[in-house]
Amino acid sequence: MTLPILPTTMVGSYSMPGWLERLKTDYFARRISRHDLDEIHDAAVRSAIKDEEMAGLDIVTDGELRRDNMIDYFVERLPGIQIDRSSKKFYYDFYDSEVIGKIPMAAVGLSDDFRFLLANTERAAKICITGPHSLCKRVRNKHYPTEEALATDIARVMNMELKELVKAGAKFIQIDEPYYSGFPEDINWGVKVLNILVEGVQAKIALHICYGNRYGKPSWEGSYRYLFPAILDAKVHSLSLEFARRGGEDVDLFREFKPPFELGAGVIDVKDNSVETPDIVAERIRKTMKVVPPEKLYVLPDCGLFHVPRDIAFAKLRAMVEGARMVRKELGK
Amino acid sequence: MQPAQFARLQIHLDWLQYKQNFREAVTVMQGGEEQGQNAGPMEIRIDSRQVAPGSLRELLQRVLSSDKSESGDRQGRVYFEDFRSFRTSIVWEFNRLYWQRLKDWEKATGKSYEQALPGGKSDGNQADGVTDAATEFWTLLESLESQNRLPQEIFILEIGVGMGKHAGLWLDSFCTLDQARGTNFYPRLRYLLGDYSLATLEHSRPAVKRHMDLCSFIALDAMDPIKTLSFLRHKVLHVHSTNMYDNLPDEEVVWRDNRIFWVQCRAYLPAADAARIGKACDVAVADIPAIVDRLLDVGIAALPDRAKGMLFWMEVWKAMRTEEKLVDAVDMPDASFPAGLSSAQMEDILRNAPNDLRFHLSPGALESFRNTLPLLHPRGYLQVQDIFVTDLQDYSMGFHGPGKLDGSIVNWVNGALLREVAERAGYDLHFAPFQYRPGSKTSVLYTTRRE
Repeated sequence: MTLPILPTTMVGSYSMPGWLERLKTDYFARRISRHDLDEIHDAAVRSAIKDEEMAGLDIVTDGELRRDNMIDYFVERLPGIQIDRSSKKFYYDFYDSEVIGKIPMAAVGLSDDFRFLLANTERAAKICITGPHSLCKRVRNKHYPTEEALATDIARVMNMELKELVKAGAKFIQIDEPYYSGFPEDINWGVKVLNILVEGVQAKIALHICYGNRYGKPSWEGSYRYLFPAILDAKVHSLSLEFARRGGEDVDLFREFKPPFELGAGVIDVKDNSVETPDIVAERIRKTMKVVPPEKLYVLPDCGLFHVPRDIAFAKLRAMVEGARMVRKELGK
Repeated sequence: MQPAQFARLQIHLDWLQYKQNFREAVTVMQGGEEQGQNAGPMEIRIDSRQVAPGSLRELLQRVLSSDKSESGDRQGRVYFEDFRSFRTSIVWEFNRLYWQRLKDWEKATGKSYEQALPGGKSDGNQADGVTDAATEFWTLLESLESQNRLPQEIFILEIGVGMGKHAGLWLDSFCTLDQARGTNFYPRLRYLLGDYSLATLEHSRPAVKRHMDLCSFIALDAMDPIKTLSFLRHKVLHVHSTNMYDNLPDEEVVWRDNRIFWVQCRAYLPAADAARIGKACDVAVADIPAIVDRLLDVGIAALPDRAKGMLFWMEVWKAMRTEEKLVDAVDMPDASFPAGLSSAQMEDILRNAPNDLRFHLSPGALESFRNTLPLLHPRGYLQVQDIFVTDLQDYSMGFHGPGKLDGSIVNWVNGALLREVAERAGYDLHFAPFQYRPGSKTSVLYTTRRE
């Protein structure tokens, strides 16, 4: 599948409908069955894929609508992690979870959800995975001597899973590590663990790092400068960064450090419900192109659209696609 | 009364903490129409503080005999509106008038609005409390600085500034602390004083004159601060307000027999009061509604003699009462819960609530709260000193407003609903008793980030 120059894609999640939030919470309150919830998820995911296609994205995701949040979808599948299933009041809350022994090597089982995505689109498809650094920040560690040791074992298990995803047809895989920004002092071991995660995975790997998007608001503030130079050792193909909300000043870090990666530039602010115009998007892309050539540039929102109302999320994606088209036209592509 | 009506009739015996309020000694609350028929009385509410010993039987007989007609007690009442949601009632126009023309009121009463408060002083201006708050903020700044995450400009927002005393005290305290500890945060402060009234902002200036270089005076709608300050989205490290939520438009609902009823009201003057006011102010009783309209528009110049205009305002406000009726939510399909509070959330909340519960929806406070949170920096916090009902159950234990405080309305704020809205917006809410004035009913609401 050939992608155009300046390919457009999602960071991962699409707008979570209010009705689905309620049904997910009903499931935790044992008011609906797992079977019913699975059917509801299938319908919601099909709808999200359709929206992404209609918006004109070149690479689509399943909208992550099966996930309660970026952590629990993984911790409840990872072997050896104990979860207090009574700890949620609202589906979006995090489970209380802890590790009390060594995490065994075992399947996580993400391939079925990815196959569902492939079966429902003819576009290029991407799956997004929360990285080991972020996961270990939300799990109480009662066994490993260090967080790095815990993250390393999570990475080993997830590495096996990524290879299963590649077998299932995954060509684009994105690793989400927003907690790097909250714990910049971890960046050296964070990259080391990331490299264990992606070792031998035959897919195009993107690393997404933002400043958090919990409840649609940033969890931290600062500059991406903390990533450098450690991030230069990451064995990934592209970095996806949050620029729209924060301003694009940090793009200059690509000029300063000349990283070997492609850049996924966030051109849509997902923490503000006002819809960008295509002109604004185009201008943000042009500004980025002064540092990174268009052949090495992906166009995407700052982060997931989980907290953005559906009509606004769709309009934002449309504007993003149209902005990218405008720049392509200027480039004669 | 029909047996079915009698079976569901409830009698509430209340002790109203506000001597000035909107209730008669005995009030009958009607149900709305059901299938085209008047549903009849649903509640009798007795204000035990107003009832003279030995008079209750007569009062009850009188209100019950007149409850279906415009006779008896209701005869001669001067109505200012049709039944409507309390939040849109004319009583809030009087509240607005008070704050806009506070000087006239203070001149007439000979005391400042603060002197009318319990304790004679705003809890926002208790020196020890302000010093502790400034110290808490300094601690946050130091923590951010140690992590290299302190922004160059440190934004603080106060909504509802009064005479600027709180801002002045806070800045004095912070400056002293900063100098003593040698941290040099003070020059980086950007203190925003926000109020809807330009006159109030102007009056607040002298109180912060020592810190004028750090202060900005911004006219803003307390219910929508982000609209004015969108350029500060996620940048404000501290937002403070005192006694602001309790003065924002409110309405109430009743939860009974697994049904929600909206409380509708209409404001009026009792006949005797209308006659008395007419005589004292040289106006015909029939002209009172029109003069009230003019009063709300131009203030005490509504009457040619400004002294009589002032008397008219004070006496009408003092005598103003509200009739109430309950309307089943199914008959009001357009009525909606405040933004941020979905009907699904409301169902969840009410699932565990006691039956026969009347509570505030606090739409003004919820709106203000919801439109303030987006301003907060990831490590920022909101602190509100006000009177909160922190558990829905507490509504069945006593009366929480509305009452009258001088020329304004005082109403407890439904902290339990605020907590629900906050959780969905990514914050945990905490309520701590205000410890700096013995006997204070004030609580301090503060937010912490929810993970």
